[in-house]
Amino acid sequence: MEIELTRRAETVNELLARYGVKFGIYKNNEFKEQLFPFDTIPRIIKKEEFAYLEKGLKQRVMALNCFIRDVYGDRKIIRDKVVPEEFVYISSGYLAPCDGVVPPRGIYTHIAGIDLVQGKDGSWYVLEDNLRVPSGASYPMIAREICRKSSPGTFEEYHVEDNRDYAKLLRWTMDYVNTGGHTVILTPGRYNAAYFEHSYFAEKTGAHLATGRELTVEDDYLYFVDYSGRREKVGAVYRRISDEYLDPMTFNEESVIGIPHIYDVYRKGHVALLNAPGNGVADDKGIYYFVPKMVRYYLGEEPILQNAPTYLPYYEEDMQYVLEHFDDLVLKDVAEAGGYGVVFANKMTAGQKEDFIALLKREPRRFIAQEVIDFKDIDIVENAKRVPRKADLRAFVLMVDEPVVWKSGLTRFSRNPDSFIVNSSQGGGFKDTWVLSQ
Amino acid sequence: MKTLQFHYHMEIAFSEPVHSHVYTLKCLPVTGAAQRIEACAYRISPESRVREGMDSFGNRMLYGTVEEAHSLFTVDVSGTAVTDVPRPVPEGDRREPSAYRYQTPLTRAGERIRRLLADCGGTAGMPVCDRVRGYMEAVHESLRYEKGVTDIATAAEDALALGRGVCQDYAHILLSLCREERIPARYVVGMLIGEGESHAWVEVYDGERWRGFDPTNNVAVEDAHIKISHGRDYRDCSINRGVFTGQAGQSQTILVEVAET
Amino acid sequence: MGIISVENMDRLFWLGRYSERVYTSARLFADSFDRMIDMDMDNYAVFCSRLDIPNIYGSKEDFCERYITDEEDPNSIYSNLMRAYDNAIVLRNEIGSEPITYIQLSVYDMKKSRVMRAPLVGLQKVEDDILAFWGIVDDMIEDENMRNIIKVGKRVERLDLYGRLQMNRESIVREVHRLTGRIARTNLRYDEKNLKELKKLAEEEQIDYDRVVALADTLRKD
Repeated sequence: MEIELTRRAETVNELLARYGVKFGIYKNNEFKEQLFPFDTIPRIIKKEEFAYLEKGLKQRVMALNCFIRDVYGDRKIIRDKVVPEEFVYISSGYLAPCDGVVPPRGIYTHIAGIDLVQGKDGSWYVLEDNLRVPSGASYPMIAREICRKSSPGTFEEYHVEDNRDYAKLLRWTMDYVNTGGHTVILTPGRYNAAYFEHSYFAEKTGAHLATGRELTVEDDYLYFVDYSGRREKVGAVYRRISDEYLDPMTFNEESVIGIPHIYDVYRKGHVALLNAPGNGVADDKGIYYFVPKMVRYYLGEEPILQNAPTYLPYYEEDMQYVLEHFDDLVLKDVAEAGGYGVVFANKMTAGQKEDFIALLKREPRRFIAQEVIDFKDIDIVENAKRVPRKADLRAFVLMVDEPVVWKSGLTRFSRNPDSFIVNSSQGGGFKDTWVLSQ
Repeated sequence: MKTLQFHYHMEIAFSEPVHSHVYTLKCLPVTGAAQRIEACAYRISPESRVREGMDSFGNRMLYGTVEEAHSLFTVDVSGTAVTDVPRPVPEGDRREPSAYRYQTPLTRAGERIRRLLADCGGTAGMPVCDRVRGYMEAVHESLRYEKGVTDIATAAEDALALGRGVCQDYAHILLSLCREERIPARYVVGMLIGEGESHAWVEVYDGERWRGFDPTNNVAVEDAHIKISHGRDYRDCSINRGVFTGQAGQSQTILVEVAET
Repeated sequence: MGIISVENMDRLFWLGRYSERVYTSARLFADSFDRMIDMDMDNYAVFCSRLDIPNIYGSKEDFCERYITDEEDPNSIYSNLMRAYDNAIVLRNEIGSEPITYIQLSVYDMKKSRVMRAPLVGLQKVEDDILAFWGIVDDMIEDENMRNIIKVGKRVERLDLYGRLQMNRESIVREVHRLTGRIARTNLRYDEKNLKELKKLAEEEQIDYDRVVALADTLRKD
């Protein structure tokens, strides 16, 4: 099958450059902007297949939201021993100041990015849940805009769900929890890796883009201050800075990009923060193991989407299995993110293996082990030839009165033929994700 | 049971005037567990609109912003506390005691703490309070009280290696020992008769209620201590947090007076 | 939209100034370059002193290369273009993605001109991009205040450059009029006294160029 669009790669890339579709990266402590490499061959998901994913994703995010509410509330799942308490309390994502604080409308996971991979047999696995500040939706959004310009014929021929409604969906999500006032997208500033996305979302949703310095707290309300000194109340903040930097008065005292006392405003219910602080407790790699159990526990349903087969060395029998099948597994440090802290056992030297096993025995809670999934490769064009590469799919689920799955997603691929790591910070590229409408 | 009058004074002197000074204070004693606060008044200078709140540990917070330029920031709190009340009062902390069983970066045990614990001998099976009393004694013996050798970021293991420290270090080491044994233990900031500064000690959950142990003085907490706040370690209880605009050095002075009426 | 922060107001103004600086200095360079081809090889020294930038250049060739595209030379057209870009990139929310693309294109065209032997051809493309940018600013930025702030930046910069280069009286008079007309249509805070003085200077037979430059640069009060 030849899609006309793939013959327009040059035009597409020219336009992507023109629109400055970039992400920032730090090399040798210097900030550089790079174009995010785009491949024109789309990932195509059939209507029925997406319907299945959609159902599974909604269910999963629903359960995760219940879990976070429970952990910072009644702690039933801990008392019922479905999740061992240490996995919660030792998690670096568990934030004690969030205990007992209920966000507007009880929503924690406003914007979830669920990373999926497809096995050779076609079955989908969830690799990771991203519930803090998942990024990436802007790229397929603008890529689609450009692809439609570059090859209108392609979109006449194929019936693809329009993904440019993401801005509307995001706006709805922000408005749904807004406590009364303006809507702000809070960015750490232009030297953040995802600055393009922050400014693009602000433009497309009509929200204000602001840095911490432009916002101020007075008498338990949050305000945006304009040049004339006029104060405008803010009711929702889609913050693209991590929890620890959000408020120096509650979290990291050294933070200069946050807003002092914003957390106290939030605690009193006078502003919505998207996503809710403290969500890290649910997207921890250790907690990941328990997500299917959460689905059963909170929703009384069988999980539709499966995890990649995962072992928790914390449990004696899992440790046994990990030691016996060590060479077949991939080990992940639960505290790391962005493709770091991931090691494939079959790539270790004998010495490294020995050291690693010793570490694993000393700190079993720190690691999870997973079977290496036999990925279904996706073709990309490289030097005018089609070559297979590993790719994942980040699906975006937005929580309004119920979860809504965006009919697209960010497909990232590894440009290195031997690598399983698709993160943009490690040189990966992206594709558009087509969900067919018929 | 005792009725104590307390006065707490904190001042921060800035080497240069600062402005837009945002503060959060956890300096108000709170009714709960074994104490009742009968009267409590505070004054913060320079004047600013002060908001009140409560953190997730049930500690009371005062916060606000001093916009104007100032070189001195002072806080005064005074009132009356009834200590060692016979019937424990419910407290604001809705966390389960077991949440306090886990080490934090400041209390994480290393070789030395594990050795100290081993030296205490097998205590499993003994009542919690007896075990903790043993640990407290061990901590008290292992450390010499000395100011200026550790700071607010010193971890328990490092303080023990140094063999010297202040009440915060005593408390962190005791927390570490308890938590190694999965005994729920929390850090406490407060005031003490005869102690001119703020003080720190430990509370341990014995299965029914929280009981205080003061490893610096090697005593069980009874009626001479007034508690201000508690948390997992020092960081949850810092009395003053602030950010301000201005290039200035700062020095903090705390004066505490507690007397029986 | 409506509300705009102090920082972004400042950025709009400087976006106007830097994009104008790139455009006008490219044009001025073109005049000077023409003379340097075969008439007055050292004309670049005059150019530098007029624009009040240090003459760090060793030769005509060195000047032509570095003044246009050197990233390390803070006075190069490239450096000024990057300043315009730095301001534009953070204003997506205020001015929109489309106008920014023209600044982005001028950066690419500037980079391409680096490999050309005929600098004026490369610079022509940059000028085209900037002109298109001004066109889209007029066409697409709905908020009148924002649009006018960018244009005040442009007018201030042009007056500053014309003053430094001691352009003829008519040019100065025209630029003063354009600036005073524009600034009244923004809510920028500016110095009324200085503006009055500027208007008066433009009525004199003999233009006091240094004073014009000084007043243009200190007109804004923020």
